Amino acid sequence: MDTLTLALLATFSPLPAFFIALVFLRGQPRLAQLVVIAGTVLTLVGSVGLLLQGPVEPLRFLWFSSGQLNLQFGFLFDGISLVFGVAVSLITLCVMVYSLAYMAHDPSKSRYFAMLSLFAWAMLSFVYAVDLLQAFIFWELVGLASFFLIGFWYEKPEASAAARKAFLMTRIGDVGLFIGILMILPLTNSFDLPSLLNPESGLVKLAAPAALSTITLLIFAGIAGKSAQFPLHTWLPDAMEGPTPVSALLHSATMVAAGVYLMARLHPLFMAAPDTLYIILCIAAFTALLSATIAMVERDIKKVLAYSSISQLGFMLMGLAAGSLFAGVFHLITHAVFKALLFLCSGVYIHHFATNDLEEIGRRGGRRLKATTWALVIGGGALAGVPPLAGFFSKEEIFATLGHDGATLFSIVALLAAFLTAYYTARMLFLIILPAAIEEDAQHDDHHGPAQPIAMLAPVLLLAFGALTLGFVGSRLAAMLGVTPAHHDIASMLPAIGAVVLGLIVAYFDYGLSGAARRGFIARLPALQNLFENRWYIDEFYRAVFVRLNDALSALFYGIEKRFFDAGFDEFGSSTLKAGNSASRLQNGWVQIYAGATVVLIGLTALYIGLR
Amino acid sequence: MSILSYILLVPIITLGILLLLPANAVRAIRWLCALSGLAACALSLELFFLYDSAAGTVQFEEIIPWVQGVGINYHVGVDGFSTVLILLNSLVYFTGVLTMWDLEKRVKEYFVFMVLLVIGVYGVFMSLDLFFFFFFYEIAVVPMYPLILIWGSGNKDYAAMKLMVFLLAGSALLFPGLLAIYHEAGLHSFDMVALAAHSFDPEFQVFCYPFIYLGFGVLAGMFPFHSWSPTGHVAAPAAVSMLHAGVLMKLGAFGVLAVGMRLLPEGAVFWAPTFSVLAAIGIIYGAFVAMRQSDFKFVIGFSSVSHMGVVLLGLNLAALNKAGADALNGAVFQMFAHGIMTALFFSTVGFIYDRAHSKTLADFGGLGSQMPRAVSIFIIAGLCGAGLPGLASFWPELLVFLAALNTYPIIGVAIIGGLVLTAIYILRVFALAFYGPPNPRWDGLREQDMRGFQLLPRVLLVAVLFFFGFYPNAMLNTINQTTVALLGRF
Repeated sequence: MDTLTLALLATFSPLPAFFIALVFLRGQPRLAQLVVIAGTVLTLVGSVGLLLQGPVEPLRFLWFSSGQLNLQFGFLFDGISLVFGVAVSLITLCVMVYSLAYMAHDPSKSRYFAMLSLFAWAMLSFVYAVDLLQAFIFWELVGLASFFLIGFWYEKPEASAAARKAFLMTRIGDVGLFIGILMILPLTNSFDLPSLLNPESGLVKLAAPAALSTITLLIFAGIAGKSAQFPLHTWLPDAMEGPTPVSALLHSATMVAAGVYLMARLHPLFMAAPDTLYIILCIAAFTALLSATIAMVERDIKKVLAYSSISQLGFMLMGLAAGSLFAGVFHLITHAVFKALLFLCSGVYIHHFATNDLEEIGRRGGRRLKATTWALVIGGGALAGVPPLAGFFSKEEIFATLGHDGATLFSIVALLAAFLTAYYTARMLFLIILPAAIEEDAQHDDHHGPAQPIAMLAPVLLLAFGALTLGFVGSRLAAMLGVTPAHHDIASMLPAIGAVVLGLIVAYFDYGLSGAARRGFIARLPALQNLFENRWYIDEFYRAVFVRLNDALSALFYGIEKRFFDAGFDEFGSSTLKAGNSASRLQNGWVQIYAGATVVLIGLTALYIGLR
Repeated sequence: MSILSYILLVPIITLGILLLLPANAVRAIRWLCALSGLAACALSLELFFLYDSAAGTVQFEEIIPWVQGVGINYHVGVDGFSTVLILLNSLVYFTGVLTMWDLEKRVKEYFVFMVLLVIGVYGVFMSLDLFFFFFFYEIAVVPMYPLILIWGSGNKDYAAMKLMVFLLAGSALLFPGLLAIYHEAGLHSFDMVALAAHSFDPEFQVFCYPFIYLGFGVLAGMFPFHSWSPTGHVAAPAAVSMLHAGVLMKLGAFGVLAVGMRLLPEGAVFWAPTFSVLAAIGIIYGAFVAMRQSDFKFVIGFSSVSHMGVVLLGLNLAALNKAGADALNGAVFQMFAHGIMTALFFSTVGFIYDRAHSKTLADFGGLGSQMPRAVSIFIIAGLCGAGLPGLASFWPELLVFLAALNTYPIIGVAIIGGLVLTAIYILRVFALAFYGPPNPRWDGLREQDMRGFQLLPRVLLVAVLFFFGFYPNAMLNTINQTTVALLGRF
């Protein structure tokens, strides 16, 4: 097949599936599932075909033109897009198969699968986009699909609120991104990515350093929104109100990775703007640490994973901002796989025990779901960075990058975050595997079919295999990206390994040891424990400041509308009536008045003529 | 006779037949109007395809001498802008008739006024004679009064009066402005082509332009003369709101374009900074006020103020020319996109109101599971309003944003930031009315969701939004050369 066919298969096959499932198959969920999964299989075929073909020339078509604006629609086939495209379509397919069982009893299954399909279309079109504005368009559509999926159970007020929050928080970032993108146009007259990034004739040469810093910083605002970085991160934990497979797909593995992907895409621009890079490093490091501290006190398994996603996205951005495209992209890919795995595992527990609470899952015998628990251990190990699982290698790249610039402060923060990552991951595992006690009667409550149906288990096992092995494809990936990864000796790896081991040991003493208190070490510092449990009071701060500011402004304008414009018009109306009433009093039929008025007027006229 | 006269004749003949039909022949009246709307759509589509967009000139001209002593002729013709606006009017006319299919009160009189309004709108879009332009303009505006007063709801007396006072105040500004143009030119002709060829004294242009801009601007819902518009929307019946927001407000913007900018370009340039700022304030202001409304139609009414601000901003930025083509293309595209979008909004809200007899947001909640189709269609319109790509409004907003950013960066940043405000008020409607636990009060509506014939007008409008959302060049190809020609005047 030629490249165009493959590209269309990879990006557009979910679109008709979405439309058919949503419009015509609302009443036939089985058929809708089939259509949607068929569409995604085609997507996978297309993206794998493209990957096998290797990097080729981009395809470009004119989409829209007006004045100085020429927008292209096209596909870019380089190492990053080819690899990430396969990762997205593969994980999407896994999640869809998993959803067959997870959502089996939901009455709106057709809508669910249709929206997943919408997401797949938007996400893959974003990944392969050749034009920056085209990428932005699909980026927005990814956000839209996310809105519908978070709010899938829209009758739940929490889900509706979470969807709204996600849309608005990411949109705040998107305003920056939009402005940043539009600022590029006068400089280059084109949004074509290859020409923008061209080191000889691209934006780096055309834009003054200050302009480049502004543009990249604005673009980073969008990245921070989508990839849930401080201060725009608060939507992501709330987004866990969506169905768990959705959390696995969008809010950990692919959609939130879109921000990181965009930064990787524009990496040469960012590399030419050191000020921006420094700001990104600070934000990413702070976010990684901040969310890790929250993850270590969360009781909700999905929230732990959500905060860990924020933290890991921070790691990826640190890698990119410290200068290594490879480190960021490698961690992006491995994280996509092991985080999807972890979420799908958590979904098995949630589906079976109908609870998100870590301790309750443990108490009711979570570890009896053996295959899932093993997969969870593998995914957890990869997240913690235990060698030789996938996360170890990719995180090691990030540490190496942070280290060789001598960026000691960032290295230390990253090590601390890695320690906490190992700690909260192990805490999660221990709470499920080694609970204080197991309720024996909880054993036979699987009234809704098998605990681990094959449709759920197969994707879990496939992803677990990925989490086990992906760490070893680093050199292949580096070759795809056209970079040579730094060679690491054991000595430089030691601090990171030490942090991980320390985290595991501390967690073992806190939660694993029989007779352990099952309270975190942080509980000895109640102030910090409180701060972390309340998520650093960031939501409260936003509510107190920004929500209130918005309310105040809209109240102000509403007041102006009512008291000034409306009341002003009414006043105008009533004074017209009053003037008419007073004037009509002259028209009263008294001949004396009329005669008097005539005399006065004649007199005045005579006076006027005489005086002139 | 040119195709334009046929388009104008369709509603005129419809009106004639309507007047002859007995008032109780309700079915015949409905079908007559629907067929007339369909015929108008077909002819307008034909015009859309026949129009030679590569030339961008005035085409399909026809001149019939009228009152030669003062230089009044029946002179019609279209450029790229009027071609798309005529299509817009036909679409809103047709879907408006279908929206009012179940009307039972004084059906004949209702359609008489509505068709009269449609005639006026067509006339304005195709007139090249200033006298006829103003004549049709008044024909389009005046029927609003009885339409709201008789078939409206709520505070309708007040709304109808307020609307009329504002619009006639606008006309009171326009009339001297237009006469001043006629006299100043000294051509003894109302012909707009001839007047456009005359170069007016710059001082006169600066003096006269505000009369034209403000006079038409009132109808376009310009801040700070907007407050009649939301009130009018709320009281008007569904299809009247559709025509009002969908096409009438565009008449105002079109007037600014066709009379103000074309005849008085230097006046437009002089006043553009001032009016740009007002338009930008309108965008932000409308969004903030929409955020606090408790009535569906008030939200949409203020969103119209906000979205029409984009049109007016685009027009003014075009006069400043730095990114003129984008700004003007954006303004005209936005007229069309906003017209279709608000028609869809009001058509759908009208549907919900007909069944629930309420349009108060807080009365609903969870309506999504009770009327999934109606709600889905409203959500599509809402997403279009929020400027989501894939729907028509995205492109014009993009173009105007781009122009604003290049001309006045502060305004550009402010109105792009306004995207967040738009999202806030749209999502607020979704959250209050459609999401959350279903209100048992409306359980009876489950059986009354949109079906069959009722879907037709709404799906048609949705399809138009998607078509131009995915294939924006269909619009740009038609209007771009006219834009270039008009910008040549600055």
